[in-house]
Amino acid sequence: MEHKLLTEHYNKDNYKSLEGYKQCGGYETLKLALNKQPKELVEMVKASGLRGRGGAGFPTGVKWSFLPDNNEPRYLLCNADEGEPGTFKDRMMMEKAPHQLIEGMIISAFAIQSHKSYIYIRGEYTDSISIIEQALKEAYKQGYLGKNILNSGFDHEMDIYVGAGAYICGEETGMISSLEGKKGQPKLKPPYPAVKGYLEKPTVVNNVETLAAVVPIVRDGAEKYKAIGTERSAGTKIFSVSGNVVKPGNYEVPLGYPLMDMINKLCGGLPPGRKLKACIPGGSSAPVLTAEECEKACLDYENLMDLGSMLGSGAIIVIDDSNSMVDILSVIMHFYHHESCGQCTPCREGTGWLDQIVKNILHGKGRLQDLDLIQNISQHMMGKTICALSDAAALPAISFVTKFKNEFIDYIQQNKISSDNLNQVV
Amino acid sequence: MKKMIKCTINNYPVEVEEGTTIIQAFKKLEQEIAHYCWHPGLSIAGVCRLCMVEIEGNNKLQIACNTVVQDGMVITNQSQKVKDTVRWGLEFHLINHPLDCPICDQAGECVLQEQYMKFGAYQPLMSEDKVKKRKVVDLGSKIVLDTERCILCARCTRFTDEISKTKELGIFNRGDRSEIGIFKNKPLENDYALNTVDICPVGALTSKKFRFQQRVWYLKKAPSVCTGCSTGCNIDVYYNEEGLWRIRPRHNSSINQYWMCDKGRETFKHVNPSGRLKSSFRHTAEQTEKMTTFQALQTLKLDSKKIGLVLTGSYTCEEYDAFLDFFQLHSIYHWKNNPKNFEDYDNFLIRGDKNPNTKGLLESINKRQLKLEDCTQLEQNISHLDLLIVCAPENHKLYPCLEEKINLFLKSKELVWISPHSHTLLQKPINTVWTIPSKTYFEKTGTFINHHGTRQKIKAVASIVDSARSLEEIIHILKTGQTDLTQIASIRDKMKTNYFMEQKGSL
Amino acid sequence: MFKLSPEGIEFVKKEMVRYETKLSAVIPCLYRVQDENEGWISPECVAYLSRLMDLGESEIYEVLTFYTMFNQKPVKPLHVQVCCNVSCAMQGSRKILEELKKQNNSNVTLSAVECLGSCDTAPVLQINREPYMEKVSLEQITKTLQERTSS
Repeated sequence: MEHKLLTEHYNKDNYKSLEGYKQCGGYETLKLALNKQPKELVEMVKASGLRGRGGAGFPTGVKWSFLPDNNEPRYLLCNADEGEPGTFKDRMMMEKAPHQLIEGMIISAFAIQSHKSYIYIRGEYTDSISIIEQALKEAYKQGYLGKNILNSGFDHEMDIYVGAGAYICGEETGMISSLEGKKGQPKLKPPYPAVKGYLEKPTVVNNVETLAAVVPIVRDGAEKYKAIGTERSAGTKIFSVSGNVVKPGNYEVPLGYPLMDMINKLCGGLPPGRKLKACIPGGSSAPVLTAEECEKACLDYENLMDLGSMLGSGAIIVIDDSNSMVDILSVIMHFYHHESCGQCTPCREGTGWLDQIVKNILHGKGRLQDLDLIQNISQHMMGKTICALSDAAALPAISFVTKFKNEFIDYIQQNKISSDNLNQVV
Repeated sequence: MKKMIKCTINNYPVEVEEGTTIIQAFKKLEQEIAHYCWHPGLSIAGVCRLCMVEIEGNNKLQIACNTVVQDGMVITNQSQKVKDTVRWGLEFHLINHPLDCPICDQAGECVLQEQYMKFGAYQPLMSEDKVKKRKVVDLGSKIVLDTERCILCARCTRFTDEISKTKELGIFNRGDRSEIGIFKNKPLENDYALNTVDICPVGALTSKKFRFQQRVWYLKKAPSVCTGCSTGCNIDVYYNEEGLWRIRPRHNSSINQYWMCDKGRETFKHVNPSGRLKSSFRHTAEQTEKMTTFQALQTLKLDSKKIGLVLTGSYTCEEYDAFLDFFQLHSIYHWKNNPKNFEDYDNFLIRGDKNPNTKGLLESINKRQLKLEDCTQLEQNISHLDLLIVCAPENHKLYPCLEEKINLFLKSKELVWISPHSHTLLQKPINTVWTIPSKTYFEKTGTFINHHGTRQKIKAVASIVDSARSLEEIIHILKTGQTDLTQIASIRDKMKTNYFMEQKGSL
Repeated sequence: MFKLSPEGIEFVKKEMVRYETKLSAVIPCLYRVQDENEGWISPECVAYLSRLMDLGESEIYEVLTFYTMFNQKPVKPLHVQVCCNVSCAMQGSRKILEELKKQNNSNVTLSAVECLGSCDTAPVLQINREPYMEKVSLEQITKTLQERTSS
């Protein structure tokens, strides 16, 4: 069953306008929030169990509480640089309910006492950009933004910043670099953004869905939110389902929802006559699940981690038996090769190397020892770099080669030259 | 005083100041640690990922350059986990590197080579195609770039961002297509550009002047002090039996940190034998007479004459002392390289005073309560002088007013020109001109006092021109009429280290 | 010589004070320059912008070359960007791109791009910076390009 906590009114055409949003109770929660103590709100979000919906799954309230307790100016950044292949939920949220995001952001900004925020939207999302721009204008006009918001004495300015095509800007410190007008290269940690972020000032970066989820939490109370989902994965999550299903799309379900129910009940199952072969449960960086593993999989942070994969951004790519796993891995490896920012050596060189090896296998030029080499390269790319892009490339490589080894061997052996001979040539 | 904290590195206990990074602690203990991007004079980039260490209680390896030592930390880079990671780190660095060491000018002082031998030494696994990038990229009049050799450690870009603040260099594109470069028509021409060549750990940035001149393993290096201006940057002079080949900065935290200016790097050419004044001469309108320095000093008549002295800031304190003790009753003029911009300073290292020891000259004068007149005074007084002794600049190139001043000096009845170099104007005089070869900083021992008043010792490395004499030696000969120079400490030192000419042809 | 329009210059000046530092204005200003320079940014444009914003050329050039939405080479009036990431590739986007290449339309520049974030409506493509064309078929895009080329 879907659980439409955030997406309840998404089917209403005028929900994206301020008037339409208000008709559904919009900005009422903001009034409620402005009457609370900021610290109370932080505690509330902590108690709700809300975890970052962008991919890392870090507890949001805890992230907020890392901010230093002083009067230094601080920034709130909304990460709307949705780029994880397979993910398209933030785009929908911005296009259908821009005010939900803005309200969530104002409440969050008030909670962390930030007077300036940015929504960083990827450049390709032209619709989202114009819709958010329009919504910001409306919100300013009605006094939800600017000086002395709703006579609370709280000031907040919100602006939009448009990216220009770089996956790595979805990494929070890459986004900060980009917002500072530089190449979107992630920054060394420590210091963490909560201490030194945008322009070296304390900064919180949260995903669109995370910030929007603050609204129902503050509206209904932490307890109610925590009651949804599993014990450690609270609340609802919007999953972007694509690939070989009859009804691809965004589906909001409570965390812990079985993957096969998602595929069969909500998405109408696979196209007729096809068989499930594999599934990527959390965007292209998440290790792939085999059909058997899918049977056991529930969509929450812990369950997927137990299966050796991850929830990530909630992008489910369903793969049926008409696809070649070598081909799909090749697409994924090309992506990370293309998107590596190039700072850290293991990632810069490793992503290109993996891409080349997998392409060679795909084109019948592979060698049997390449499979071990892929494993080795990947192992040494993980946990060795400034950000997680290197891991994001290594994880699918390892899982594809391990779980679909025979398919890779087929590609290698099809080219008739025995790998022993090839060894001698090399 | 900062708080001291204890930690253990590779089983050795060590105490470091609070706030010290692990890599600094390793350096302090002289423990080997692989690294490319970290440089003590630059901000932390943390991108080469080689300085991995294992910290007890932490499952994930950490980079030593960006991790601060905590009290009681137990750190190692000797575990198998670290060794594997560093080996792989080197493999990643080398997969797209051209491995063209035999034709690379950096060979012999390449950190990639060194660290491969220390930490790598594996069988390479890469058999795929390497990424092709630009080679022999012209960055301006001084530097050539090979982007295939570059390992993108970002030292050079951090230098132009943080130290020279000129921002010519950038890293363009992304991923393994990333390349160091300049924006077209904006060459890397700042006054400190060649520091990027020094800090480049590989052969990506090479100096146009030095490349292909010498294999570095045929060069020796000797510590010295730059004589290019009054800052007194600490330097290493690289030389072999054929002469001096290059100068690089030597770390001194209170003077030049890790850097020096590009002009300072040129201050070795005047030391080399070609173009040096190799014996003494007496030039008159009619004839030129060649003689040994001893003969010249014996022949020179100094009694009962009105003598004028012209001094520059090129000499050591000891030389000034000896010279002024001997000549103190005479009028003394200060010859500056360029009075107009003598006080200039670029707020980093370059000063308008192009002499290493102007402070020392002034100190020697003041100690004796002598009067040092400006060279402009000489114009009025020169006709009254019988003899003018000029302790000329060691490096003529730094004195734009050289010819103008020589023409002035030639107006004196008799001129003694003491310098490592002569000048054509001196060789066809109307009156009498003596030219006496003097030593360069590379050949003498003594003290320079820099602009800030810091006293720095230089030591004679070798003798290059046998007949050259320091002012101390000249005074010794004048005083005693003896050639036995072993009486003077600085000369004894010289004799100990005099292997420069002897070694010729021995390699 | 490239020059921004008076409105473009006005835009740059406003952007330079819109954010906390003027460096943040580089990306929006590069977009503007690209729009006014037939869809691409030449080295000359970089030099111009560097003078206008009083920033180093290298600083701007680094940004330009990092982001894929800035074109460093001239593009035709119709820049067709076909998503070739997993979900679109599974729905035949690479095939569409190959076929479009064969058509050799002189008014079209073709690019394979990474995930456009519309995987439920794959295959997806974007012409210039317009709204996406979703669930696109070869016939559809061919027709669109023909119509727009002739008009």
